[in-house]
Amino acid sequence: MRLVFFVAMLFVSLFVPVIGAELDAASIALNCLTCHNDTGKTSAIPPLNKLSALQMQQTLLDFKYDKKPATLMRRLAKGYSDAELAALAEYLSRR
Amino acid sequence: MPGLSRRHFLQTVAGLGAATLSGCQGLPRLASSKAHVVVVGGGFGGATAAKTMRLLDPTIQVTLIEPKARYITCPGSNWLFAGLTDLDKLTVDYQALQARYGVKLLADSVADLDAVKRQVRLTGGQTIGYDRLIMSPGIDFKWDAIAGYDKAAAQQFPHAWQAGPQTLLLAKQLQSMRDGGVLIMTVPADPYRCPPGPYERASMMAYWLKQHNPRAKIIILDAKRSFSKQALFEAGWTKHYGYGSSNSLIEWHSLADNPLLELDKKNQQLISEFGDRFQGDVLNIIPPQTAASIALQSGLADAGGWCPVQPLSGQSLFDEYIHIIGDAAHYAPIPKSAFAANSEAKACALAVINLLNQKPLAEPHWLNTCYSLITPQHGVSVAGVYRLDAAQTIVAVKGAGGVSIASGAETELLEADYTRVVYQQLVANSFA
Repeated sequence: MRLVFFVAMLFVSLFVPVIGAELDAASIALNCLTCHNDTGKTSAIPPLNKLSALQMQQTLLDFKYDKKPATLMRRLAKGYSDAELAALAEYLSRR
Repeated sequence: MPGLSRRHFLQTVAGLGAATLSGCQGLPRLASSKAHVVVVGGGFGGATAAKTMRLLDPTIQVTLIEPKARYITCPGSNWLFAGLTDLDKLTVDYQALQARYGVKLLADSVADLDAVKRQVRLTGGQTIGYDRLIMSPGIDFKWDAIAGYDKAAAQQFPHAWQAGPQTLLLAKQLQSMRDGGVLIMTVPADPYRCPPGPYERASMMAYWLKQHNPRAKIIILDAKRSFSKQALFEAGWTKHYGYGSSNSLIEWHSLADNPLLELDKKNQQLISEFGDRFQGDVLNIIPPQTAASIALQSGLADAGGWCPVQPLSGQSLFDEYIHIIGDAAHYAPIPKSAFAANSEAKACALAVINLLNQKPLAEPHWLNTCYSLITPQHGVSVAGVYRLDAAQTIVAVKGAGGVSIASGAETELLEADYTRVVYQQLVANSFA
C-alpha cells in the first residue's frame, strides 16, 4: 500500500509541480464530501469514513473501469487519473 | 498553511460533516485574525465559501453579507408544483454558519464597492474593509427583454426563477387553471440559471395536471434549439405524459429563429418576431438573465452581463482582490447550478487561503451533478468533471460525466431517490 501510495504521489506531483499532492487531493475531496457528508443521516449515499485507503482506491478504480455498478460514480470516477484516485483514497481514509 | 498542522488541516476538511464540529468551536476571535474576507451573498456559493474558509483556516475572519435571515433554495422548488414539497422544507438559515464555524453575519445589502480602498459600503451606512472579497450575488433579470415584461408584470405572470412568493404564485395559478387550460412557459437562450430547470418544472406541472386537470396543456416556448438532458426528458414525457401524441400534456417548441419580442398583458399573449401570438391561461415567463445588479454596477461584468474570472483563483479579470463565484460568474462550460456554485466556492476558498498565506495555488477541481425529477419515481441526471487545461481554460474532462447511463424502472427509481438525497446533502454541505 505504501508503495502504491508513494508511486501515486510521485505521479500526481508530475502534474502539480507547484503544490504537491496533499492539497490537490483536498481539492478533489471537498467535492466528494458534498454528497458523502459523513453525517450518517443517509443510507443511500455511503459515508467515506468506513473504508481503508486500499478498499476505497479499489472501489474508485472499479467505478472508473465499469467493474462496479453505479448510477453516478462511474461517470465521476472517469474524470481522474488512477494516480489521483489513489491519492484521493489515501487522503480520505486519513481524515 | 502556516498556523495549521497537517493533522488539523485534515480534521477541518473532515469536519465538512458534523463529526468534528466541536473542534471548530472556540475559534480565534477577531483580535487574533490575520486577514478579513468579506463574502457577499448567502446563496449556495456564498454560504459554502464562508464555511469552507473558516473550516480550512480559522485564523481568517469571515464576514457574510446577506440581507435575508432565511434563504429559500431554488433547487427543489420545482417539486412544489407536483405537491411534493413546500417552502418551509426549502428554507434554510445562517445559524450554523455563525454558531459552528464562526462566520460573522451582517444582515444588510451592499450599496457599492470601493475597489481602491478595498471597502464595501452597506445600504445601512456601514463601511467594511476587506483583504479579499468573494462575490456570490446570484442573478438579476433582463426586464423588458420581452417588451412589457417587467418587475410589475411578474406579479401577474410569474417567472418563479427565484424561489419564494413567485413559486407560490405560479403554483396557485397552475392549480386554479380552467379545465383544459393552457400554460405557456418561456425559456431564455443560454446562459441562464439552472439549464434543466424549465424541463423539470414542466415535468412536475404535468404530474400535477395529469391527476387534476388531464386535458390541460403545457407549451414550452424555447429560445434554444435543444436543451439539457433533452433525450432523457423527452423519453420520460413520452412514457408518462403522452409526449408526441395529440393529447400530450407537454409540447416543446424551439423559437430560435422566431424569438418572442412582446407581452400583450391584456390578452395574455406573447408575440414573436414573425407576429405569431401565443395565448395562455397562465404565462410563466422565465426572462433572460445577467449577473446580479451589484456586480454590474461595480464594473465586474462584461458586455454579456456575466462576470469573467481567472478560473485558477476565481479572481475577477477586472480586480485582483475580488473573487466571483456562482451563477453571476462566467465559469463555462460549468453550468450555472447550485451544485456548481458549491464547487466553485470550495476551489475559490482554497485559492483565497493560499493567496492570504502567500502560498502557491493548488490545481482547482470542479464537479457538477444535477438531478431532475420527471415523476416522483423517475429521476434523471447529468454530471460533469471539470479542470484546467494547459491554457488555463476550464474544460469538461473527456470520457467523464454525461447523462444517466442506463434506463429502466430500477435506475429511474434509484435516481429519483438520489435526486432528493443529493439535494439534502448539498444543502447540508453548504449551510450546515
